[in-house]
Amino acid sequence: MNLNPFWSMSTNTGRKRSDGEEQSGEQQQQRASPARPSFGKKQLPSIPKNAVPITKPASPAATAQLANGTHASYGPFYLEYSLLAEFTLVIKQKLPGIYVQPSYKSALMWFGVIFIRHGLYQDGVFKFTVYIPDNYPDGECPRVVFDIPVFHPLVDPVSGELDVRRAFTKWRRNHNHIWQVLMYARTVFYKINTMEPLNPEAAVLFFRYDKDVQLFKSKVVDSVKLCNSHLFDQPKMDDPYAISFSSWNPAIHNEAKERMFTHKRRPEDHQKGLQVSGLSWVKPGSTQPFSKDDNPPLS
Amino acid sequence: MSWLSRLTPRGPGGRSSRNVAPSSPCTADPETCLMVFENHWRQVSWVLEQQDPSSSSDDLTAVRNHTDQMLCLLAEERPGECEGPPGAVTSGNVPPIGPILDLVVSENVLERVVQWHLRRGLDPDSQGALLKLFEMLIGQSQQPLLQHKAVLQPLLGLLGACAEPQLGCPPSLENSLVLLLNQICVSMARAPAVLELLFRSAPAQHGPTNLLIFSLLVPFIHRDGAIGQQARDALLLIMATSASNQGVARYIAENSYFCPVLATGLSALYSSLPRKIEVRGDDWHALRREDWMGVSSLVLFMNSLEFCNAVIQVAHPLVRRQLVDYVHNGFLVPVMGPALHKSSVDEMIASTTYLDLFLRSVTETSLLKAFLRFILVHRHDNDTILDTLLTRISSNSRLCMVSLSLFRTLLSLNCEDLMLQLVLRYLLPCTHVMLSQRRAIRDTDLYGKSADKFLSLIPDCCRLSTAPSAEREEEPALWGKALNSPSSESPVHHKPSTPSRLALFMRQQNPGGGPSTPSPTETVPSSPGAGPNTPLSPDSPMHPIPEGLDWESGYLEYLRDARRGVELCSWACRNWSAPYDGEDPSPNAAPLPPPPPTSNPSLAMFPEHFSFQQGEGGGGGSTSPSQQRAAVVAAARSEWSSTERDSGEWDVTIGENSCISLTPRTKKRSLQREDVHLPKPLHLTPDSASLPDPSPHLRSAPTKGAQQAINGTLLGGQGDRCRDSQDGGMEVKKVKRELGEQQHPAGGDSSQNGEVSAFPAPAQSCGSLQGFYSEGNGSGTAESSRGLPPHKPSHTQTPSASLLSEPRANSSNDRLTLRAAASSPGSGPPEAMLSTQSEAVERLISELLDGAGPGEGGQQGPGDSNGQGISIEAFTQELRELEDRVRERSKGVGLFRQLEETTRDPHSGEPPPPSLLDADLMGSGVVAGVVRVFRPLGQPSTQPYTGPFMVVLFAKLENMLQNSLYVNILLTGILGQLACYPQPLLRSFLLNTSMVFQPSVKSLIQVLGSVKSRIETFAASHEDFPAMLKKAQRYLAARGKVDWADSPMGMPTLRRSDSLVKSRKPSLGDLILRHTNSPTRARHAAQLALAHVRDGGQSLHSALFRGGTGASGLEKQAEALRVKNAVYCAVIFSEFLKELAALAQEHAVSMPFLQSHDTEE
Repeated sequence: MNLNPFWSMSTNTGRKRSDGEEQSGEQQQQRASPARPSFGKKQLPSIPKNAVPITKPASPAATAQLANGTHASYGPFYLEYSLLAEFTLVIKQKLPGIYVQPSYKSALMWFGVIFIRHGLYQDGVFKFTVYIPDNYPDGECPRVVFDIPVFHPLVDPVSGELDVRRAFTKWRRNHNHIWQVLMYARTVFYKINTMEPLNPEAAVLFFRYDKDVQLFKSKVVDSVKLCNSHLFDQPKMDDPYAISFSSWNPAIHNEAKERMFTHKRRPEDHQKGLQVSGLSWVKPGSTQPFSKDDNPPLS
Repeated sequence: MSWLSRLTPRGPGGRSSRNVAPSSPCTADPETCLMVFENHWRQVSWVLEQQDPSSSSDDLTAVRNHTDQMLCLLAEERPGECEGPPGAVTSGNVPPIGPILDLVVSENVLERVVQWHLRRGLDPDSQGALLKLFEMLIGQSQQPLLQHKAVLQPLLGLLGACAEPQLGCPPSLENSLVLLLNQICVSMARAPAVLELLFRSAPAQHGPTNLLIFSLLVPFIHRDGAIGQQARDALLLIMATSASNQGVARYIAENSYFCPVLATGLSALYSSLPRKIEVRGDDWHALRREDWMGVSSLVLFMNSLEFCNAVIQVAHPLVRRQLVDYVHNGFLVPVMGPALHKSSVDEMIASTTYLDLFLRSVTETSLLKAFLRFILVHRHDNDTILDTLLTRISSNSRLCMVSLSLFRTLLSLNCEDLMLQLVLRYLLPCTHVMLSQRRAIRDTDLYGKSADKFLSLIPDCCRLSTAPSAEREEEPALWGKALNSPSSESPVHHKPSTPSRLALFMRQQNPGGGPSTPSPTETVPSSPGAGPNTPLSPDSPMHPIPEGLDWESGYLEYLRDARRGVELCSWACRNWSAPYDGEDPSPNAAPLPPPPPTSNPSLAMFPEHFSFQQGEGGGGGSTSPSQQRAAVVAAARSEWSSTERDSGEWDVTIGENSCISLTPRTKKRSLQREDVHLPKPLHLTPDSASLPDPSPHLRSAPTKGAQQAINGTLLGGQGDRCRDSQDGGMEVKKVKRELGEQQHPAGGDSSQNGEVSAFPAPAQSCGSLQGFYSEGNGSGTAESSRGLPPHKPSHTQTPSASLLSEPRANSSNDRLTLRAAASSPGSGPPEAMLSTQSEAVERLISELLDGAGPGEGGQQGPGDSNGQGISIEAFTQELRELEDRVRERSKGVGLFRQLEETTRDPHSGEPPPPSLLDADLMGSGVVAGVVRVFRPLGQPSTQPYTGPFMVVLFAKLENMLQNSLYVNILLTGILGQLACYPQPLLRSFLLNTSMVFQPSVKSLIQVLGSVKSRIETFAASHEDFPAMLKKAQRYLAARGKVDWADSPMGMPTLRRSDSLVKSRKPSLGDLILRHTNSPTRARHAAQLALAHVRDGGQSLHSALFRGGTGASGLEKQAEALRVKNAVYCAVIFSEFLKELAALAQEHAVSMPFLQSHDTEE
């Protein structure tokens, strides 16, 4: 089942031209327009339809907490919003070649995929999952686990977990953000570090890179191939928002792609009749009202 | 049946009978028709050829009858191509026109008929007949006629006759004329080429007014009823048709009176609007459609305004520009401006309301621009309209409400220019934050810290714990639960919950379209009673209003609302010129915002002055030194009242662990001065250096003055209250006090820390004042002396005031007070302020404060981590008394206003005010104002001042406990609106609770903190507070339900029926505004709601009276009102905090919109 056209689409387009410079440009575009504008697509009514029923009944109970804490009842909102804020930051960062999306079941688990455009791991498409500790942001740093253990000095050959902690020895709220972890996960494939490896074999091989170039390279290539061969597998996690790939189907994907590129984000319940808005006659660089030239720009 | 008889019954609009006559014999047989026509024509032309000028009335009748029939035949003739018989069409015309028309053209029939009529002198009767004939012809014709010169020329001849001064158009024929013109325009709109013809082929003798139709129509623009409507429709058609015709557009703009007539007509119509708006409910604050539908003068005005709007929408840019200019210069400036400055409160209310209505009605950007330009830039008597409007907020009750409503309308425009003038320009220099904090302006509140703080301010006494439901299994945000390891599966299928979270999913589901949308949401195990997909189970009316309201549950609604608000707002602001994030525009490059006294001298322009200055159109507008001084005086005066207030103020600080500490303002100030490293302009040394000895003799004079002033302010309230009962000028006093308060943050401090350099002699200072302000925006003189005229006349009320307004009459006196005031800040520590005030009063107050201090500190100490635990019992009775007294004196006027009672405040035992109160006030007040004004000379850009808007809103907010429910609803609504703005400067100012501001800048959180403590104090003093609170909540919830239940806005999912949430926000009028399409429903809703109002009021009253105080009836009533306001305030306050918290959270997760260069919206 193709639960998620958005992702399957983007991955497909991504893979098709996984190298070349236009990639980054397109990437930008993708991050800039489709991901973001899609915010505007949703319709307000469906929100309550989908979820309010679940959350609302719980809230009266929240009052129970009033006795011991002033606002403890709102606590859960904070965590959720913190994670959403982190996610918003990720979107704003426009990390090249990285896509993530929180799981349906928990805000603390994000699904992601990373596309490697050049270097040793060129053409690699690695799915991963980010696990965020539930005492975030006061806990440890989030964990990144690849679905398939990639052959890499910093990736545990068994669990597939990336050694993130070496970069974030102590997770500092306000300073460390999840996008940095994602950024790190990307960098790892372009700049290989072999200190205290999780995968000693890879590290050793890489260490002797000069001699065993071919050996290391071939291991990497094999690993990349392996990963890519499992690309179309069902997601490991049974979650509606797990990232799943499907092969390009023009009937579905062309249209979706088209829509993504033409879509303009609008406020959720933006009504057509919304009065003139966004009035501004301030000349950029000026702070005087009505400083703009009078050729009516907002006809 | 004759053709004529068919014609005559036709009034305007009775055309249908015509159209259903295709079966008439002539259409059936064109050839016969032609023969009939020729026959008529032969007879007519025989008459026409008679050269005898004295043709008999028989001739006339004959011609008329024949013409009637001929024209009917012509009108019903079908164009040749359709079914014209071969013989008829063979005449060789390429566009096959009907044979009759052919004949008409070749014989020039119409021209000859019309000329004949004109030659023999047109009597009204035949003029009317001709008009009707032509109207019928053009309206009914089956083929286009106007392209033919043979039709057009005689028509223009006839119209020309109508335009001639000697003949003109008698009133009785106006209907026919306009109808004809309307028909011409309609067919012109169908065939735009006609416009060109009309334009070119005008008879030479009409010279410049060559678009005859046009000049004939213009006089009817503002007509009432159908005729006006037809004329406007016709004109609109011309506008639309000429939109792309440069020539016609230029003609309209340059040679016609269209634009001036239209715009100045607005002025005329405005002058006939009611000067006073009869008001029913105490919640009324804006004109709704059904309010004005019944007022004919208003209907007339609105028709014309809407017409302007429509013209601007369709017309050629040339016309558009001209019309907009005329509206600005011919209506807004000369009429609206003075109207807004009318002297009586009623007129102020009316004009403010009208302006609000107009703003809501105008949709065209360029017209809106004219309005905004008028409001922001135009100076009436040296005040911008904005300044004037701002002062009204601080007034009391109704005027405040309509002003707030106006500002709400303004804010809803999301206009950058407006926001710049209102708020942003004051924040741009970033002087309101500590230097080290500037970088934090852009910070987003990732972890809900601010939200937490806001929520923590909800007074404990407002948290009615409902039946404590033990199972708190389901957290609202279960989604946030951990699924920590790859293998872990959550036992329950947790759902996305918060609006933003939902939105996240929506956006992913949506692009895929329906089919791919997963349906996990439907598997929800835990949906409440209602079916899984019931869109609004929690909100649906079925959801009973629980005993103790579903109090906390509203938060989710707030989040959703906040999300929507933030999103819409940032979308609306996407085309702004800059992000306003503390870097762009650069704080250093930002022009200096006008400092408090002069930027809004209007703030010092107390409404009572309006009441006093009856008939004064605002006084002379010149900028003489005396006026400048008057402004200073006024500003200073408000300052005085502020310092007086000051001693009774509490500052609330939210500490790191969200501890809340209350500090008496005066003390805190001094503390801050010691602790906090103050930036340049505020350091003390210069003061002390150059004023080493604030010598007693210097001080004595001002002190005396001050004492009087203080007494004056204190007592003045009562005086005014009495006065109010006579002239409704109640607002007055209160405003003054609030002004003081508003000005306080900046003014109070600056005067304390005032530089000595800013200490010139008055004469000199006037000059420098001017010099300094001129860098504002080139209108320095105007600025510095704004707000004067209104003062001057008012001051002349009292002897000393008039003295003051004389240029040099008492300059020495001035100087003395000036120096004295300057010296007092120099004297340093807390006493600085005290010393300038009446010792006695001060001592009393500080004693009380001291008494309260320890208790409060003690409560704070015990590590009540959340700061909620300030136990109110510990507040001593003295404190309460003090608070009551201070508050009652300075702010409690609102109660009385509503009660319209004339007795004194039961809490204050002050003697009646001295009569020269105002004068004294002013005399001593000069001081601070002057000092403050000149201080910036040294460091121009560093005085932190957040602008009059913020100051007045905060002042009003701080006063929440005394505000009426509706004021609070509007007020919090506006602040909520402001908090939606995504610009980091504004967002951080309002919502970032971790931000450290300059000591003189009051933050929202401080204000809220002080409200909280007041509420808690109040609650502690009223045993039955919980019961009353519950009642108030229930009432508000019911009200919200009424208002929302039958909202025709669709969107049934729109919530709020079950919580107070919404009832808090829009007030009645606003809610009803939604019902614009259904006045009956609206009225129904209004009645229901009003009934609730009364019920609610009643029950509160009764609740109160159970614990009867034994006071007199009147006092009891006053007390009841006070209690009622306070209880409602407690409800609103808690809701407001939730809203702010929700906004803070949503800002953190909102995505900016891309600038749209395409303006397809």
